[in-house]
Amino acid sequence: PVESEEEEEQGKIFKLLKFTFFNFMQPDESGSLTLDPVSDCLSWSGALRWKEDLQEKAAAAFLRQQEAAPNLRKLVYGTGTSQEEQEEELGGLFKVSRPQKSRKVTSDSLDCSHFRPDSSHDWDQEEMLNSIRDCFVTGKWEEAQDAA
Amino acid sequence: MKSTNNNNMASHGLTYEGCNFFRQRLVLSTLSGKRVKIRSIRSKEDEPGLRDFEASFVRLLDKVTNGTKIEINQTGTVLFYQPGLLYGGSVEHDCSPQRSIGYYLEALLMLAPFMKNPLKATLRGVTNDPTDPTVDLLKLTALPLMKKFGIDGEGFEIKVVKRGMAPGGGGEVVFTCPVKRTLKPVQLTETGKIKRIRGMAYSVRVSPQMANRIVDSTRAVLNQFIPDIYIYTDHMKGANSGKSPGFGLTLVAETLDGFFLSAEMSSTPQGQGDPMLPEELGRNCAKMLLEEVHRGGCVDSANQSLALLLMTLGQQDVSKVLLGPLSPYTIEFLRHIRDFFQIMFKIEVQKPLEDERKGGDKVLMTCVGIGYSNLSKTLK
Repeated sequence: PVESEEEEEQGKIFKLLKFTFFNFMQPDESGSLTLDPVSDCLSWSGALRWKEDLQEKAAAAFLRQQEAAPNLRKLVYGTGTSQEEQEEELGGLFKVSRPQKSRKVTSDSLDCSHFRPDSSHDWDQEEMLNSIRDCFVTGKWEEAQDAA
Repeated sequence: MKSTNNNNMASHGLTYEGCNFFRQRLVLSTLSGKRVKIRSIRSKEDEPGLRDFEASFVRLLDKVTNGTKIEINQTGTVLFYQPGLLYGGSVEHDCSPQRSIGYYLEALLMLAPFMKNPLKATLRGVTNDPTDPTVDLLKLTALPLMKKFGIDGEGFEIKVVKRGMAPGGGGEVVFTCPVKRTLKPVQLTETGKIKRIRGMAYSVRVSPQMANRIVDSTRAVLNQFIPDIYIYTDHMKGANSGKSPGFGLTLVAETLDGFFLSAEMSSTPQGQGDPMLPEELGRNCAKMLLEEVHRGGCVDSANQSLALLLMTLGQQDVSKVLLGPLSPYTIEFLRHIRDFFQIMFKIEVQKPLEDERKGGDKVLMTCVGIGYSNLSKTLK
């Protein structure tokens, strides 16, 4: 989405340039094109503006992407959920026992090594089938490798 | 995780809560020699405490070790486990039919190479059920994986003597494994392309035609990718067919570099929900294999933790293994490895290139082994 936004912005600027070109440039007596002095500064400052902060924009996009990519190490070894056990007491004698959320539930769930994710892909779609074509010997080979 | 923080300080033992990841904790405890205490086992449930299958698992550990101390409180909600020495030898065990033999075998695969004597375990119970990895799957994927780490030699096999479907069971499996002094570090970073697909369709106490129907529908899906598909049919009869009817399919995709990706499906156990047509089972299982191929990596999702354990216990050298997305079970296993062996993996995500059609993100796991050596192995 980030890239497409940038592209869109650039596209707009080009359209603007084209617009100014056709509307304000008129052939003079000698037949060559000259810019209308009024529109001059408008169009060119616009053209330069998108180029100015390209580097910063790229840096920002990179950082955004870094943040979006899950840091697996943190996920695995992170300090974990630091939720304290909350036990309400009634009259100092009884404890309120409630079905616990998240961590408590997993601590007593089924001990099983099978990996069944909630959202499985739809393998009836041609698009999905195509996404793994090159995993097979019948798929496309890298140039460095050879089927033989 | 509250328990972890305590664990680092208390070197004499580790404390956990709840019955989940029960096997991981006991297996790692046995290998590392660290005591473990598990509290609050189903303490909030109507039937608190350990179930039969867990008690049966603890008994199995007791059989393959020497000098293990086990204490369980009256309600069964607290277990204290002090591991003994891995002894091995010839062991027979009646597994609880609540879980399949795969549940027990997964743990034995992790322990067997480090025994004093080569293990020969005869396990009786349910060979195939929809919950756990079946014995067929472990035979086809776990053994070749362990060979990569140098666990090899005569009599390294899983043999299905009798097939017993859930819920009745009545199956029998013999697992034999040689002992190893040290493990090889591995560099499994290139998966290679899939050259063929093999499988086994089994049926017991139903028409042998069921297996053929499974094969046809499976081929229909997988033939879109590769022509080299062979699915064996296995129909055990009489005394070798267990107590319950059922059928199922195990599929493996083998790559050029000798890695195996697998998927499997068993029919719904008799009297537990809607029955499944063999055609439907074949198609769904084939799609599960495609899902596994999409995840990719050198080790399939069911064996991730086995591979990570063998990396951890390898010689003091760098090991690398490329995996698909980490399963929740594996993530917890990594945390347990840190608790018991103080080893943390380097985890790098590898994103596929834009025009590549090789499935989803992969994860490269790197670690330096602790140089575990099997001191109890007898010298000859």
